[in-house]
Amino acid sequence: MLRRFPDFLGDMSRRALVSPVTFSLFFAFALAGAIVAVTGGDPLAAGEEMVTGAVTGSGLRNTLGRAVPIVGMALAVSIAFRSGIINLGGEGQMVIGGLAGTMVAIYVPGPGYLIVPLAMLAGAVVGAVWGLLPAYGQTWLRLPILITSLLLNYVARAVTGYLVRFHLLDDAVTLTSTRQVPEAARMPKMPVFGGVSLSLILVMVLVALLWMVYTRSVAGYESQMTGFNMRSARYGGIDVEQRTVQVMVVAGAIGGLIGTHLIIGEALRFIDGELVLAGFAWTGLLVSLLAVNRPIPIFITGLFFSGLQIGGLAMQRNAGVSWRLSQVLQAVVIVAVACRLSVWRSERRRAEPSEADAAGVGEV
Amino acid sequence: MTFELELRGITKRYPGVLANDAVDLAVRPAEIHAIVGENGAGKTTLMSLLYGLFPPDEGEIFIRGERVEFSSALEAIAAGLGMVHQSFKLFPTLSVADNVVFRQEPRRRGLIDRAASVARVRELADRYGLAVDPEAVVEDLPVGVLQRVEILKALYRDANVLILDEPTAVLTPQERDKLFEVIRRLRDAGGTILFITHKLGEVMAISDRVTVLRNGRAVADLVTAETDPAEITLHMTGRAVDLDRRAPEHEPAQVVLKVDSLTVIGEHGRPAVADASFEVRSGEIVGIAGVAGNGQSELIEALCGLRETDGGAVSLVGMEITGADVAGRRSAGLAYIPEDRYAVGTIRQASVSENLLLGHHRNPSIQHRGWFDRQAVARLARRLVEVFDIKAGSVSGPVSTLSGGNLQKVVVAREMEQGTPLLIAEQPTRGLDIGAIEFVHGQLVRFRDQGGAVLMVSAELSEILALSTRILVMFEGRIVADLDPSKVAEPEIGLYMTGAHLEKAVA
Ligand SMILES: Nc1ncnc2c1ncn2[C@@H]1O[C@H](COP(=O)(O)OP(=O)(O)OP(=O)(O)O)[C@@H](O)[C@H]1O
Ligand SMILES: [Mg+2]
Repeated sequence: MLRRFPDFLGDMSRRALVSPVTFSLFFAFALAGAIVAVTGGDPLAAGEEMVTGAVTGSGLRNTLGRAVPIVGMALAVSIAFRSGIINLGGEGQMVIGGLAGTMVAIYVPGPGYLIVPLAMLAGAVVGAVWGLLPAYGQTWLRLPILITSLLLNYVARAVTGYLVRFHLLDDAVTLTSTRQVPEAARMPKMPVFGGVSLSLILVMVLVALLWMVYTRSVAGYESQMTGFNMRSARYGGIDVEQRTVQVMVVAGAIGGLIGTHLIIGEALRFIDGELVLAGFAWTGLLVSLLAVNRPIPIFITGLFFSGLQIGGLAMQRNAGVSWRLSQVLQAVVIVAVACRLSVWRSERRRAEPSEADAAGVGEV
Repeated sequence: MTFELELRGITKRYPGVLANDAVDLAVRPAEIHAIVGENGAGKTTLMSLLYGLFPPDEGEIFIRGERVEFSSALEAIAAGLGMVHQSFKLFPTLSVADNVVFRQEPRRRGLIDRAASVARVRELADRYGLAVDPEAVVEDLPVGVLQRVEILKALYRDANVLILDEPTAVLTPQERDKLFEVIRRLRDAGGTILFITHKLGEVMAISDRVTVLRNGRAVADLVTAETDPAEITLHMTGRAVDLDRRAPEHEPAQVVLKVDSLTVIGEHGRPAVADASFEVRSGEIVGIAGVAGNGQSELIEALCGLRETDGGAVSLVGMEITGADVAGRRSAGLAYIPEDRYAVGTIRQASVSENLLLGHHRNPSIQHRGWFDRQAVARLARRLVEVFDIKAGSVSGPVSTLSGGNLQKVVVAREMEQGTPLLIAEQPTRGLDIGAIEFVHGQLVRFRDQGGAVLMVSAELSEILALSTRILVMFEGRIVADLDPSKVAEPEIGLYMTGAHLEKAVA
């Protein structure tokens, strides 16, 4: 973290070449091509459709748009992982924050430049509160965050479902949905690539901010050290409990921001159960794991995954290959990276004996 | 004759470091062979190569005349080697027996036979006189006992060549004597022992031969009976070393640490520290002597805010800190060198410079409003590395590549260079070579003479005697004596440490 910036870049490009990620991508695409060929398709044509579908015309806009929730949720989960907290509650934090933001956008009158930030703020605050619950559960009652945060996802779904069904229902449509977000309260689109949501900037700012926090702030240092070794962190005067609470607040707030963006920037209605269908929280979790919880790699990996998903749809449209292939691709990348990582680690273990090795264990 | 073990021309390079440079080493059967050398001389690297943890860049290894190339520790174990590492390699949440039999569990109908493993470990422990409860969970055990568990692990695997990497660093003198008995018994049964230590007294006491490493090279191979500590030191460091007592320049001045009837209830509900009262003044080093396990650790942890207290008061430079948290105490002016540098004092995954900040990272000289001044951080890291001569490839590299002694220097440097009024030093020279010990002693004395107050716990009575201006002896959680080191002799301290003074009083 105290590396100088130029070193950091040089180191990164050198590592990129030998990194397990490069290899895995290559492997995954080869495998996917083989699948297409075996099932009687033309792998090159499918590949071409996928790439052009992801980066040209409206495809690029969609890729960037979808990257917003993926990267956002990945950032949310990464800060928890970095301080050793397993927060699986991203989905609930996103859903409940999303509904709160939507309510502000729909029911609070006023000009857009006030209402949009206010809605985002409301989403962030409610998401943060939802993150606070498991944090206090752990620091006060010793309930593991891993479990409570996961279970609170279902509570969030139920609570939002109830509110939408019985209090916020729009009778004009047959959906179980709130009213539409009024024109003025929608997240503006930027006039680039055919209209990309302003939220992309927000996410990029978050990436930069988190990068700054982890490379040069006391808070980032303390979180990272806590994640590395809690006992040493305590010895170093780091208030582990307080850090846990703070991290969960920030993670929840990011979740709530993304949830609100997904409604006021994309869907425009909060439809019961819709927000969880795309599985952004879970895709985000995978992205964070692949990017070893670092903000800049998260951004790149998130864009890539988004492109895969958007390109997959284009491929289905134009090459007649099911979009599920892009899901297969996504899965293979993950498995391949995981395998390569463990091989890479065991190679490094040669140089640096670990617990298992010294005990006379090969691979465990 | 054939050697039990022979290393020829072993070379191992790390980026920027030549850890072993064409080392030759020959060990005879049934011999206790000591390996000595300064911190970072390459002792651990050499032993790890021998044990198959990684291959040498160059060189050959022969066991009983036969060339071997181990590709893993498993193969080394199969060839009869056993190694006890400098940093323990145990599973903390498993029992002693589970750790010992790991991978060679006794089985019954395909399942692990827990009862049999406990029985076998107990039998083995009894045979070698190693006092260990096979059913205890490893994470609850003090380091001295962990050492025994590690030795049991090697014995269980029928090692006939046992490598011990600084086994005595964490032991009390009593435990050490027991270990020596075990080692001698092993040798008399035909075993060969490689023994790494920084304590030349131990070399003289137990070894048959001694090999000296310096900057990665084997510079001497001596017969113990024909040499003496001065000669070994000269080979190790190229100079003579002086660990003599240096009297304080000033009279102790104002009270820095005041402890008033402090009580700490220990794990078993009994007081681990009972009604302890004492003061440490600026310009003095107060040494706490005692057999390990008499409340020293609990006392120190309580003073540092890592353990709840159950009565009494503590104040630091006149400020009440009884209920303060660790950060509060640190900012009030406390620095702390903990006894376990691996699990507590350093963070393995972090870099050298990140480790040099830990606990002082909120110091206004390196951060403003929560943002590090990166130049100041880099300057601090460079200065500490330089002043304490920490051998590290680069300060942004991982701390895990440092040798044991250099890791200890990271902790000592960090805690001593903050200009705090109070330094609590727990086993400050554990694992350091004599040159480095001399250096740290010098630093502690300098700290004292610049008006700092030091509270020191050490298992080395000689260290306590050499440095302390006052000696407190702890026995069963109580401070049973407050002695002037210039007026007491070692045996008298020993009486207090073992509680013998009580019997005398009763009689
Ligand atoms: N994995 C590694 N990567 C880079 N350098 C290393 C690595 N392991 C050891 N070194 C370096 O090799 C040198 C020898 O280290 P080694 O651990 O063998 O020393 P040692 O003699 O055991 O010292 P000590 O008495 O302090 O334990 C040191 O300079 C150390 O920094
Ligand atoms: Mg060593």
